[in-house]
Amino acid sequence: MSLTFKSIATLSHDLKTGEVSSRQLVEQAVARIETLNPQLNAVVCLEAEQALANADQADAKRAKGEHSPLLGIPMLHKDIFCTQGMRTTCGSKMLKDFVPPYDATVVQKLRAAGMINLGKCNMDEFAMGSSNETSVFGACKNPWDMTRVPGGSSGGSAAAVASGMVPLATGTDTGGSIRQPAALCGITGLKPTYGRVSRYGMIAFASSMDQAGPMAQSAQDCALVLNAMAGHDPLDSTCDNTPVPNYHQTLEHPIAGLRVGVPKEFFSSHLDTAVATVIDTAIRELERAGATIKAVSLPSTDLAVSTYYVIAPAEASANLSRYDGVRYGYRCEAPNDLQDLYFRSRTEGFGAEVKRRILVGTFTLSAASYDQYFMKAQQVRHLITQEYDHVLDEVDVIAGPAAPNTAFALNDTSKSITDMYMEDVFTIGANLAGLPAISLPAGLVNGLPVGLQLIGRRFGEAQLLNVAHQFQNRTDWHTRRPTLEAVR
Amino acid sequence: MTQASTVKDVAVLARLTISEHDIENVTAEFNQTLALFDALQSVDTQGVAPMVNPCKANQPLRTDSVRTLVSREGLMKNAPSEEENYFLVPRVID
Repeated sequence: MSLTFKSIATLSHDLKTGEVSSRQLVEQAVARIETLNPQLNAVVCLEAEQALANADQADAKRAKGEHSPLLGIPMLHKDIFCTQGMRTTCGSKMLKDFVPPYDATVVQKLRAAGMINLGKCNMDEFAMGSSNETSVFGACKNPWDMTRVPGGSSGGSAAAVASGMVPLATGTDTGGSIRQPAALCGITGLKPTYGRVSRYGMIAFASSMDQAGPMAQSAQDCALVLNAMAGHDPLDSTCDNTPVPNYHQTLEHPIAGLRVGVPKEFFSSHLDTAVATVIDTAIRELERAGATIKAVSLPSTDLAVSTYYVIAPAEASANLSRYDGVRYGYRCEAPNDLQDLYFRSRTEGFGAEVKRRILVGTFTLSAASYDQYFMKAQQVRHLITQEYDHVLDEVDVIAGPAAPNTAFALNDTSKSITDMYMEDVFTIGANLAGLPAISLPAGLVNGLPVGLQLIGRRFGEAQLLNVAHQFQNRTDWHTRRPTLEAVR
Repeated sequence: MTQASTVKDVAVLARLTISEHDIENVTAEFNQTLALFDALQSVDTQGVAPMVNPCKANQPLRTDSVRTLVSREGLMKNAPSEEENYFLVPRVID
């Protein structure tokens, strides 16, 4: 019996009734990874033996009557989460041999909930990218079309779920890194409110925006996993102590009367016209479900890109200063002296995009540029946040596209650096303002998936998941699968 | 327009080396990115407080008690070079 593409809820039921064992689930997942990965390059570390041993333990717990919803379900982590004893590279040569001595809180929580981690997913180096092409392991491919990118930076996670390797992969989202690859690969991905999920043990990129979330086939599966991921962590002072609701319990609430705001700036010249049509149709579906659609305005949408690309590289330049070749990470061969060790370890260990952002961040934080760029961007961030808050006073959720186009071609040299940065134009606002946002499959354009983005109020994940689930009750886009003909 | 010499100075601050072969290209990309920031300068931010992060004003802090999360040996396993549980670096003082 094929278990591929079964939902977490279904697998959990099958495990409970004894129709299937966790060992069988893990064996099938490992077999599928071994078949598909040589071409997809979604998984960069597979630890099958350990996963099978953990599956046996989960089966033993089931046999004793334990039946938590995630017990025995296979999954993969983005290679940005520290996993004790399992190599964690962040897609970089800098960390190619790094084996963390501790687990990230997200890793620990999902293990405690009974999930079986099989390994680690490919990603853009230090999560800096929208195509997964900056990884030291090479590009991950989009399961819908092997000549195209899966999006990034959580491209490996999105491709792994979209190709049916596992029902769940973790991702992180600093400027759209869960939502954009979820959109491009036709899966559901949730970026929670800043502070909803612990960042402890999650390798830092831009600390005021980084946030972890689930990537799965449906909002229902995301809800089940967020129940286990969310909550206060004493090891992360930015991790909020707002009580965690049961996200699964409110999925079936009717959405009649829901106020949906559609920002006109999300339908600007950046947006592909065929993608716009799909998003418009999806919003009409919400209207048919009883929602009220209201035109709203977020005038700073384009400005958010400039703001983000000052703040994120500045924070990155500070965070990545720790990689000096002394305590852990890559060290150059035969350094002449300490300065030579620093310069060559960093120059040889980091890839081009990471170095580009460190340079810009170092510049905007330097004394001569600080007020002009970094301080200014933080002030504009405040204005953008107020803009979102004002709109969310009038509506319950904001709806629009997650990405301006469908998956673009690998090695697309026609795209400039700033063209690539504009990929994030619709996702960045939620990161700057710290708001939760979800991308869910809304249709296909020329056989490639399109993602509908919903943005909610702070700690409004339950409402976002509810709306997404109601949309998925009425449509079947989230059940569409790539044929994978080119992979087999 | 930022000059190549400034980009080189910034690279030194960041402990990165840019080769003579790459400097022209790196400077061009650097300026391309800075051009993206020009739009910020036209925004009126008079009296607007900078937003450092989106957290609530009061962050939940724990009691600052001593405990061992990771052993010294566990941390030293990733050291590129070590001796007797100390990190080894090239000689700094002759």
